[in-house]
Amino acid sequence: MASSANSNPVPKLYRSVIEDVINEVRELFLDEGVDEQVLMELKTLWENKLMQSKAVEGFHTEEQAALQAAAHQQAQQAQQATQQAQAQQVLLPPQQQVTSWQSTRPTVTSAPQQQVIVQDPKILQHMSATGMSAAATAATLALPTGVSPYHQLITSQGNLSQNCYIKTADGQILQFVRAANGAQYIIQPQQQMVLQQQVLPQMQPGGVQAPVIQQVLAPLQGGHPQQTGVIIQPQQIVLTGNKVQQNAQVMQMPGQPGQVQQIQQQVQQVQQAQQAQGGAAPGPPQQQAKQQPPMMLQVDGAGDTSSEDEDEEEEEYDEDEDEDKDKDGGEDGQVEEEPLNSEDDVSDEEDQELFDTENVVVCQYDKIHRSKNKWKFHLKDGIMNLNGRDYVFSKAIGDAEW
Amino acid sequence: MAYQLYRNTTLGNSLQESLDELIQTQQITPQLALQVLLQFDKAINTALANRVRNRVNFKGSLNTYRFCDNVWTFVLNDVEFREVTDLVKVDKVKIVLPHSSTTE
Repeated sequence: MASSANSNPVPKLYRSVIEDVINEVRELFLDEGVDEQVLMELKTLWENKLMQSKAVEGFHTEEQAALQAAAHQQAQQAQQATQQAQAQQVLLPPQQQVTSWQSTRPTVTSAPQQQVIVQDPKILQHMSATGMSAAATAATLALPTGVSPYHQLITSQGNLSQNCYIKTADGQILQFVRAANGAQYIIQPQQQMVLQQQVLPQMQPGGVQAPVIQQVLAPLQGGHPQQTGVIIQPQQIVLTGNKVQQNAQVMQMPGQPGQVQQIQQQVQQVQQAQQAQGGAAPGPPQQQAKQQPPMMLQVDGAGDTSSEDEDEEEEEYDEDEDEDKDKDGGEDGQVEEEPLNSEDDVSDEEDQELFDTENVVVCQYDKIHRSKNKWKFHLKDGIMNLNGRDYVFSKAIGDAEW
Repeated sequence: MAYQLYRNTTLGNSLQESLDELIQTQQITPQLALQVLLQFDKAINTALANRVRNRVNFKGSLNTYRFCDNVWTFVLNDVEFREVTDLVKVDKVKIVLPHSSTTE
């Protein structure tokens, strides 16, 4: 291994840096009266973390072999331990990704219990040390099937495109996550989370309980009693104040339209799509909703009593917009149904390996030049972390257009 | 004074985390940890300047650029990093660079 390291200078470079630092620091340690043992511990910790991050290929081969051998044994023990606790844990990818992921604080449980997140970093260490990907480790944990979308959600962090936080009346902060396949989930801290297949709204008076909904099956028909809460459908979030949508399972949030305008914008878009399916009747209320965002959105056909007069006036608008909505609605309609299937598909394995590393390059520059909107970069001495892997360069030249 | 720029790399972060663990177990003092980090800054700067000898080209589109406190931060989209041997494509990359006081 050592002889074939020509292609990748990174591990050698890192090794040498570690050695240099440790050696230079040894004096400092001794001056402080700190034992050499502590220095060795620092070195070990440092190297372990580098290995865990999987950002660097290769390592001290001897140490790696020894560690892997030890890790295998411990991993087997750890697996037994984790299987016991699997109901409360969801395994997250190795630490490097964990650190970036923790900033968004998703808290997911695989069962209706108090949630627990990334536990036991040791388990993670062993899991990753054995070379198992996050998907494999989760599989070995035999996560319940209902968690699979979350599993994908978590392991395919690279697919996350948005993380929105919504603050409810309680002051709870709901994390609103939108996966790449369009499915939207609300992750609510310390609340019951994953629901298997049916929407089971559990509402409590005076509070917002937002059960996370993985899949929406048969939409509740009209005549749904007024309830409180938020229901999420794949690619849809519907908030209604006082009325219930016809085609969606909708819960109401007590008097909070003003606080969730983000959702409402999306809801409006969604409702536009729904209207295309529902026909022209819900059109006017949609426009009312559009024109007055804080107002409760109403798409229910039965509740259109107040908008009949305006129907006549706005027919022209309806026709034009319905044409557009039909196109969008058709597509959205298909997409609504497809998430049930698309969630079965696992996106490319590469994506799962990508995690959600924000690819960062830290370096110095020789020259940065701009001409109108054409930028030229002359960089030097940089360390890059791309797609979870580390690269280095002494010079880099780049072009970009703004 | 060497740049503290490289502390936010895999290498630097793992070092900081390890130092934090030792501090928590009170095996070292925070002061000592700081010294270690300063030493790391020097070492990594030297190593990068002397030990690395490879070139990379990249091409992409610029999303945002910022120059604040003498530090450039760029966010590029759909970038291709091309080295002699391999090619890495990323959707989004952030480039952070402090102004180099020693221009070549």
